[in-house]
Amino acid sequence: MEQILKATQLSKYFYQKKALDKVDINIEKGKIYGILGPNGGGKSTFLKIAAGLLKPSQGEITIDNEKPGVYTKSIVSYLPEINYLYKWMKIKDAVNFFKDLYADFDAEKARESLKFMELEEEEKVTTLSKGMMGRLKLTLALSREAKLYLLDEPLNGIDPISREKIITSILDSYSEKASILICSHLIYYIEKLLDYVFFLSEGRIILSGNAEDLRNKRGMSIDKLFQEVF
Amino acid sequence: MEFNNSIPIYLQIIDSIKQDIVVGKLKTGQKMPSVRELAGTLKVNPNTIQRVYQELDREKITFTKRGMGTYINEEEKTISLLKEEISKKIILDFVEGMNKLGFSNKEMINTLKEYL
Amino acid sequence: MITLLKYEIYRRWIWLVLRYAALIIIGAILLNRISTPALQYKFLGESTGKFIFASLVIFVIIIIEGINMLKEDLFEDCGYLTFTIPKKGRTILASKLVLLFMQLVLWTSITVGFGSIFYSKLPYREMVQIKSQVDFSFLPTVLFILTAFFNLVLMIHFSLTLTKTLLVNKKYSSLLSLGIFFFLAYLIEKVYYGPFLNQIRYISLHYGIEAKINFLSGGYTAVFLNIILAAIFFTATSYLLENKINI
Repeated sequence: MEQILKATQLSKYFYQKKALDKVDINIEKGKIYGILGPNGGGKSTFLKIAAGLLKPSQGEITIDNEKPGVYTKSIVSYLPEINYLYKWMKIKDAVNFFKDLYADFDAEKARESLKFMELEEEEKVTTLSKGMMGRLKLTLALSREAKLYLLDEPLNGIDPISREKIITSILDSYSEKASILICSHLIYYIEKLLDYVFFLSEGRIILSGNAEDLRNKRGMSIDKLFQEVF
Repeated sequence: MEFNNSIPIYLQIIDSIKQDIVVGKLKTGQKMPSVRELAGTLKVNPNTIQRVYQELDREKITFTKRGMGTYINEEEKTISLLKEEISKKIILDFVEGMNKLGFSNKEMINTLKEYL
Repeated sequence: MITLLKYEIYRRWIWLVLRYAALIIIGAILLNRISTPALQYKFLGESTGKFIFASLVIFVIIIIEGINMLKEDLFEDCGYLTFTIPKKGRTILASKLVLLFMQLVLWTSITVGFGSIFYSKLPYREMVQIKSQVDFSFLPTVLFILTAFFNLVLMIHFSLTLTKTLLVNKKYSSLLSLGIFFFLAYLIEKVYYGPFLNQIRYISLHYGIEAKINFLSGGYTAVFLNIILAAIFFTATSYLLENKINI
């Protein structure tokens, strides 16, 4: 199977703290991965390095065989946990911005998705509730035809209705040509979506494996397994 | 469909499809939803559905025509075979459960008669 | 770069129009006050003063906005968006600097335009007085001031970017940025301009010319030096933005 992301002995230090400690992760095309773990365990750090926001302290990471840079940013769709849109934007501005800056952005798909998510284009970004912002960010990220989607806690602080819509959207974006990497500590809702999981804590991978195999071998859900391990 | 996340999902889906066939919810020769469609409906990973269809194909319960989709086997005996397989499992579970409770074979038959 | 520039303009287009329209309107109103020769003498000083004040206010706004254009991307949440779009660091920086430059040119044109009209209304005697006192050639000085302030913003951009490379959280970033900036300013004065101006002094002394050499005496050469300095800072900042910063 073709690999889209390859991290070898990847480490990231912040002063004395080891956010990532010699992590090896390979992501194959056409699969949905979960990076699960407690807050502060390194999940967001890993995603940010893959997105090109943080530079590795040690080790290597390549996406489509390239180091993080302009090319990888053009094929990676990153959904951060924070509100990263410019405060002056209306929803339609955000859509236009993405359309202008990303060649793989499908504006039609975005508009349909906005309707599905019940978001109005004229709304100012600063007036959105947490749930609405979560749905907007996801719409923008998934309306791109990227090779790698990095979703950082897409379900955090999301109401149950939005949550269902978000899960549906993620499934709709699935393609054999792309890979999705989801970081979450809310495993119960996403575990059915996952092909493969990595358990990350204190910067290290504690456990990894195919989701169904783990269910079989351990006789418990990934959620339960997570609770046991942590 | 409610899933028990402690057991492999694909096995649960396979069981559910087999039940539906026996009960008549799914007809022989009927076209199954595409991998994407079913994944979306059940809210599970498409690769899981892929595995389900592969398993069903392997057990000759379904057959997949490339580019066309997955269809339930047209042969009538499919249903009867499945019925046999599922009922066998139910009975084995019953026997095992009653054994655990300490019922002898004779006691089991008597108790069963009461309920039929 | 044009796309990014488009958004830099789009997001603040109302403010842009307002500030230059305001400057022009104020200038026009003040000129109107001194339109008749009778009023001229009475209000000239006051009007000129007011216009200069308005002009300076707009200038400060432009400079501060120029600094903040990069500062917010480095230190606010929106940096996550700016630094994940598929554009190189130099492209992102360039889009902001081009807008700054365009504004500086526009501001200079308006200020000099109105300024020269005010100046032309001066009584002859005062004109001569000003000319003798000020003693500098016009165009190089204007260019020098333009490029100097452009560099000011660039230097602050560099300081902010360097700070972001060294520090991860926001806590001491303002302090460190200021520190770096003043260190650079000192360095440039010592190593760059100092020797240059000394050279001019030396030459003028050598020729027995008693001239007041100050930082405005550099002429076109100083402008050229500024351009080189700008290129250095732009390259350095771009490099850091592309390769070293951690958002």
